[in-house]
Parts: sequence; C-alpha cells; structure tokens
Amino acid sequence: MRDIRSRVESRSEHAPGLFSLFCSAPELVRTAAPGQFAMIGVDGRSQPYLRRAFSVADADPGSGIAEFLVKVVGAGTACLSELVPGQEVRLLAPLGNSFATDDLGASDRVAVVAGGVGVVPFPFLLRALAARGVAADLYFGGRSAADLAYRPTILPLVTGREFVSTDDGTLGERGRVTDLLDRELAGGARYRRLYACGPTPMFRTLARVLETRGVETEFSTEAPMGCGFGVCLACVLPRPGGGFLVSCKEGPILPPSAVDWSRC
Amino acid sequence: MSDLSVSLGPLRLKNPIATASGTFGYGLEFADVVALSRLGGIFTKGLSLSPHEGNAPPRICETPSGMLNAIGLQNIGIEAFVSGRLPALAAADATVFANIWGDEEEDYVEIAKALEGAPGLAGIELNISCPNVKKGGMLFGNSPDATASLVGKVRKATRAPLVVKLSPNAPDILESARAARDAGADVLSLVNTFVGMAIDPETARPRISFGTGGLSGPAIRPLAVRMVYQVKRALPDVPLWGIGGIATLSDVLEFLAVGASAVQVGTANFRDPGVSERLVDELDAYCDAKGIAASSLIGRAL
Repeated sequence: MRDIRSRVESRSEHAPGLFSLFCSAPELVRTAAPGQFAMIGVDGRSQPYLRRAFSVADADPGSGIAEFLVKVVGAGTACLSELVPGQEVRLLAPLGNSFATDDLGASDRVAVVAGGVGVVPFPFLLRALAARGVAADLYFGGRSAADLAYRPTILPLVTGREFVSTDDGTLGERGRVTDLLDRELAGGARYRRLYACGPTPMFRTLARVLETRGVETEFSTEAPMGCGFGVCLACVLPRPGGGFLVSCKEGPILPPSAVDWSRC
Repeated sequence: MSDLSVSLGPLRLKNPIATASGTFGYGLEFADVVALSRLGGIFTKGLSLSPHEGNAPPRICETPSGMLNAIGLQNIGIEAFVSGRLPALAAADATVFANIWGDEEEDYVEIAKALEGAPGLAGIELNISCPNVKKGGMLFGNSPDATASLVGKVRKATRAPLVVKLSPNAPDILESARAARDAGADVLSLVNTFVGMAIDPETARPRISFGTGGLSGPAIRPLAVRMVYQVKRALPDVPLWGIGGIATLSDVLEFLAVGASAVQVGTANFRDPGVSERLVDELDAYCDAKGIAASSLIGRAL
C-alpha cells in the first residue's frame, strides 16, 4: 500500500447524494486490481477524523484516473461531497484482496449481482472480464429507481444480459434482485462464477440461494473500517463456528461460506 | 542530524517517537509506509496468553476529533507473536515493546516469563487500563492496591524493562502512578483511553456493541497533557511516556514540555499511517534549526 497524494480531476453527479469522484492517481491505476479499495482522506481536516473506504469503481490506464462512487450517508461522505476539481485528497491504496478473474476465458459466462450502491466495484471488474472475453450478465436491484442512478454509466460495460429490479417497481421488474437471479438459475442459466456486492440482507439471501444452486461466488463485503489495513480491527465479520475475520485484510472479497451471515 | 536520543530509566531510545499499543498492529503492517527502524519504539497490540477473539461488532464509532473503540483486545496470543512476528520485527531493526494483558495476575506473570530473553524485545508494557474487557484490564488499574500487587508480581518475574500503562479512568491517577512505581515499574505510560459512550439518536442504542468504549484522538489531548503534568510534578524522578491524541510536532513538543521523556502516537496511525516516521523527521528538523538536542525539550513547562 502507498499513501498517494492525489487531486480531484472532475466529478459527475448521478442523482442527489450520489456522485463519482475522478482522481488522478497513476500509481493506483497501475497497481490496483478489481475489488480492491482505497481509504480516502482530506488533508488538514480533523473532522471527520478517520478516512473512509471506497472500492476502486473504475481505473483508466490511459489517463491514470481512478473513479470512486460516493453515496452521501454521513459526516465522512458529506465531507467528500464538498470536494471540487483541483482539490487534493489522500488515497491509501491499493488495499485488500481482489476478485478472481485470471482463470476465466472466452468460453466462460459469469453473473454480477449489485444491490444499490453495491454496484461500486463492478465497472472495474466488468472491464477486466471484457478484456478476457468473458460474457457477464448484470443483475442490478434497488429499493427504487433513484438507487439505480448509476445504471446508464455501467450499462455500456455489460457484455451479457441485463436484469433490473426495484422494490417499488419504479424501474425494471418489481421485487428483489435475488429473486430474479434465483429465477434465472432455476430456468437453466449457468454461471462459472458469480460476483456480488450489496447490503447485508442481500448477502444473507444470496448465500442461501447459492448454496442450493451451487454457484461459485465471491462477495465484496463491507464493514465500517477505521484504518483499512488490518490494524484497528473494527471491520470484523463473524466466522462460522466462532471468532471473527478482518474484512479489510482477509477480504473484502470473500466466499459466502467465510461468514456466518446469521450473526451479521 | 540532531541528537534525538532520550533516556527513560533503563531505556535509551534513538528518539522519543513511539507508536501506541492497539494502533500499530504488530508493526509489520506498517512496513510499506514506515521504516520501523527509525521509530523510538513500537508497542504491540495487547497480547494475551491465548489468542483472543474480541468483542462483537460494531466496535468503533467516530466522535468529534477522535473515536470510541471497544475492540476487546483481539490478538494472536503470545506464542504466535514470539514465533511469528518478533523475528521479523527484530530483522527490521525495530525497538519492540510487548504490551501484555490478562484476566488474572498469573496470566501477566506467565506472559512476562514467556517473553524473558526473547531476542529483539526492548521491554514489556503492562496494560492495566483497557476499558473494553469484562475481566482484567482496567480492573488492575483502577485500584492502587491491585496495581501494586500486579506490578510487584510481574517485576519479580522478569528482568526486562517494565513500562506500566496507566488508566485515566482511575479515581486518582497519582495514586496509580505511585503504586506502580513503588512496586517496581521502570517507566509509566499515560494515558490509555477514557471511557465514553455514544448513542444513536434514532435507535436510542449505543453505537458500539459493548455499550461503552475508549475515547482516543485529539479530543483527549488536553486531558492527557494535564495528567502527564500532574504526575511529573508529583513524581519528578519517574520517567513518563506521554500518550493522548498526538498527531503533529506541536503535540509532541507539548507532551515533552510537561515532562514526558517520550511519546506514543496512537489513533493518528489509523488516519495517517506514515505519521510516526514523519514526526521523527519533523522533530529532527526542529532540533536542527534550533541547534538543540531533543532531550533539552523535556520538562520546560514544569
């Protein structure tokens, strides 16, 4: 990991309280793999005191620019929402492990399952999969259309089919994205691997669905992090059988079986 | 290069900048961003006889200029530390202090014995001040009698330099300091975290699963500075290691001025992992510009 001095190059607004920060960070772009994350901090501010963790949403080798998708939920993200182009930020990165893609090729089909802002690690992943010729279906769900405001940005990267759902039916089918996936799997859809990121209830449901369907899966987990590199021991997830794993260090990419979702 | 060396009782350190237990892992986690050999000392995560799981999440919450934590002393245990981490730390030429804790006095004694003569170990820090476990920890630090009894037994069990980390939650920190010194502590470090609490206004439940947590960060610095001052004035011969919200050079100078011979950087390591080594550089430049030795900065406010 490196503590990289970076600058906000631009930002794009997807919806109120949901925006992308584009930061110039050639070193990060060169070294990061899909699924890894950065701890973002703003120098000279004592409030918020701690940095915040964000998956690398996308990385452009040509320009050396990394994208971070931010949803404003508290003091840390509110602080980032005030950043304007030209301002300096610090990126502690790359952190954590990454999605497995090395073993995939042109004959493979995978599914990417995103719940709301859980779409965050997937542009970068979809690019890596496309480069290997892997066909990827996107399952994207949220409570309502506003949660899917990032959809127009990610859609061009989807090489397979797209399935969209909202709880209130304002976009795509009414219902849960996990139900869409279950239906497709029951209907004969075959995936070599499944990648998922979303809220804890989605992981809990998915873990159950996938256990019955037997699809190899990687979850991009999230837990409140203090440091991002395995030292503060805040971001723990319960292991089956007792004890905790440290999400930032042993993850954030984990198989569903690594976590006791009933205790989350 | 200025003379940054400082002495604390039997210890002679290359500089007064160390990193606090619980905020620096086992040191090696920082090797990408800190040259471990440049620090005056590294205090390990609190070590127990057996590996310890710690508390259920959520374990931390951010507060104004700081944070509350109730990690619950999750650690790999003394054996894994000695065989798996200490050799690499020694190879990196780090000055390592093992922070140790237990449920019972005998646990501390056994750990101290297990560490006796461990290659690469500069000393032991007794944690008698962790507020986040149900047994042991702060219970030893909040009563002068319990402090004296524990420190005395560990003192008999080891020849290693013995640092005792005091609790700011004790009814009277001076009584704790006297008890630890009289029982054989070589150095006192102060302070550990202050017991605090934060409530989610919507759910009306604590933000940390343990209920209460230890407050750290710049928010506690003036309290910590006052306690170091108070103890140093009363016990001028006892070497002190100052801790509490240190993040900048001026913070370091403040603690040295009230009589700390060295400092430990804590919560700032989470926010800014390179801060400890940078403080060594900044202290060096400061002393260089003034043409002084770092040791001359100690006790100027007393």
